[in-house]
Amino acid sequence: MRKNQPGSEPDHQFSEIMLSRSRRSDRLQGYIWGIAAPFICTLIDWPLRHVLGPASILMIYLLGVFLVASRYGRGASIIASFLSAPVFAFYFASPIFSFAISDLENIIGLGVMIVVANVTSNFVERVQLQADIAKQRENRANALYRLSQALSEAQNRQAVARIAVSHIYDDFGALSVLLFPDQAFQLHYPSDPPLEHSLKSSNLKIAQQIYQNPTALQTEPKDLINYYPLERSQLIQGVLAIQSPTDSDLMSPELITFFETFLSLISQTLERLRLTEQANNANLQAETESLRNALLSAISHDLRTPLTRIIGASTALIENNAEFSAEENLDFNKVILDEAQRMAELTSKMLDMARLTAGELVLHQEWNALEEIVGSALNRLEKNLAARPVRTLLPDHLPLLWIDAVLVEQVLTNLIENAIKYTPEGSPIDISAELLADTIKISVSDYGFGIPKGMEEKIFDKFYRLESESHQGGVGLGLTLCRAIIEAHGGTIQAVNHSGKGASFIIHLPSRDPPQFNWHEGMEA
Amino acid sequence: MSEIKPLILIIEDDPQTRRLLKTNLCNRGWRVIEAENGKLGLSLVKSDSPDLVILDLGLPDIDGISVTKRLRQLSDLPVLVLSARSQEQNKIMALDAGADDYLTKPFSTGELHARLQALLRRVMRTASSMEIFQTGDLKVELARRKVFIADNEVHITPIEYRLLLILIRHAGLVVTHRELLKEVWGVEHIHDQHYLRIYMGQLRHKLEINPARPRYLLTEIGVGYRLVDDEES
Repeated sequence: MRKNQPGSEPDHQFSEIMLSRSRRSDRLQGYIWGIAAPFICTLIDWPLRHVLGPASILMIYLLGVFLVASRYGRGASIIASFLSAPVFAFYFASPIFSFAISDLENIIGLGVMIVVANVTSNFVERVQLQADIAKQRENRANALYRLSQALSEAQNRQAVARIAVSHIYDDFGALSVLLFPDQAFQLHYPSDPPLEHSLKSSNLKIAQQIYQNPTALQTEPKDLINYYPLERSQLIQGVLAIQSPTDSDLMSPELITFFETFLSLISQTLERLRLTEQANNANLQAETESLRNALLSAISHDLRTPLTRIIGASTALIENNAEFSAEENLDFNKVILDEAQRMAELTSKMLDMARLTAGELVLHQEWNALEEIVGSALNRLEKNLAARPVRTLLPDHLPLLWIDAVLVEQVLTNLIENAIKYTPEGSPIDISAELLADTIKISVSDYGFGIPKGMEEKIFDKFYRLESESHQGGVGLGLTLCRAIIEAHGGTIQAVNHSGKGASFIIHLPSRDPPQFNWHEGMEA
Repeated sequence: MSEIKPLILIIEDDPQTRRLLKTNLCNRGWRVIEAENGKLGLSLVKSDSPDLVILDLGLPDIDGISVTKRLRQLSDLPVLVLSARSQEQNKIMALDAGADDYLTKPFSTGELHARLQALLRRVMRTASSMEIFQTGDLKVELARRKVFIADNEVHITPIEYRLLLILIRHAGLVVTHRELLKEVWGVEHIHDQHYLRIYMGQLRHKLEINPARPRYLLTEIGVGYRLVDDEES
């Protein structure tokens, strides 16, 4: 498998190609040294020719050959040793300046030198080969590690495809594409914009065959694309189409094993995604189921209670009207009114929740003044607040907020309503705001019993109600609604117990620069 | 109020609600005529010329917004719109189409009476131009363009005064953002909500003891503003 995109050099061009290329330049260098070494030895020996005997001079040549052999291997060392022989014969062996050698000793010396060169270079080659193999293995291990690392973070098939294609290109220099089946088990070329190194075309017919029968023929020789099933636990998740190598000799068995490991990593990841999805679906189903049950029981309880009272009071009024005093009459009527109002509140909350959970939460954001929203919420709850002291601590020059006023008012109303419901009559409620670096912090605090320890998050859950409040109306949706609304605004809401004994609900809303107010324009009219 | 009791037309398809409204209004001494759909309602407006219309937005034949528009073409009699909650957009559309105020179902009798009173008063006011407007401690001398809180004069800017004036003209009734923006800054600024927020804020700070819990200048979130009319209750 080799790259065929001119000009783009992958980061980790792998193994064979790189190694053979680097060796080629090495070899050339080796031959040059093989030729040069005997002459360098001659230069060293020449001034010493009267001091040293021929045997010692021969040792210098031997050293030269040995060095070349150890560094550049066989070819270079053979050149060096065979070149050393005539050079030595010419300059040092008697008769000098002739290639003839008369001395038997020198002939043996030369023979030894050639043998040493051969043996050494054999050793060196073997060591080098092992080093190469080790390096190759390391590279492959690294490549697999990088791949598994990248795949472990993939959250969907598209991500897997992206990672697989880019890693295949980096490590094999081949273009490829992952073909996934649709609901009807038909493979498709990905509809997303093509990846940088993806194969632009593939034969879907062959891919489909392999998808349906993984043992089928894997290559269509003509179009030079190989198809591999991505198989895991007897389930084929898709098919990988990859350019075939044009030089078959580059596909060593080891490389094939490496490639198969690559494939199995990809298949594993796809399998993981499939199982996760299955688990999620199961969870979702279970959650919907339990939600439905909770909703049903909440509704039946919370709607039936006021209905029972209304029916009771009204039948009493109709059937025994004559016997009641005016006062009793009024009492019964009050019961009917109160319970009807509770039901109205309940149904409107449920409607809101239904709208929010149906994904219909569309924010109508506008520049709004917090002061107005607080004022409106308090006005709405005027009757419920009765004689409760409400302290509003809003800074005078709070910037306008980019929010949906109706929904944020709903949040404040819910929070204040909660405070009224769950704290002793007459205890104060504080509403304050504070401008922070890039948020506006709004708190609604009461002076009641606070939130039981460990329940600070739980109370935001759907249908969750504290034990102590089960006699209160409400389906436990108020805070869930609040959180959904605030989060839709990109904010946060938390419940804490404050030091002054009581609960605080703290909202952070992102603050944005309000529009430039054109005073001139504002004044003009 | 005049000697003749006002005549109120109820356009509402639900017979129970209609009956309830009728009983309530008759107890107050008002005269009531009923229509169960928009078509009948419009023809009754032409034939009986009522003093006020209560219009349900969810009618079976013509939608409430269209009825409002046609009503406006016929006359400028006050129109009170009834709508279910969570229909902010509908309310605003009805108001912008010419309705004078709205009530959200379910509502109490008290709320209904207060709205109707405010609407009928508005009619009287335009008839006899007002010299002084007073609600609680807030007093506005319209001829001299002076504003007082508990007899202390409050200085307000021309724009603030214009805002206040529009709200006074509709005292007790809701005025939509759009209408205020159009009246004060002109049609080209009907989307510059922040103008309104800033000036209303200033006005509240000048007229209210606690601007975060206003007594006079109420905010109808998502719809507009309402100046409390003391005589309501």
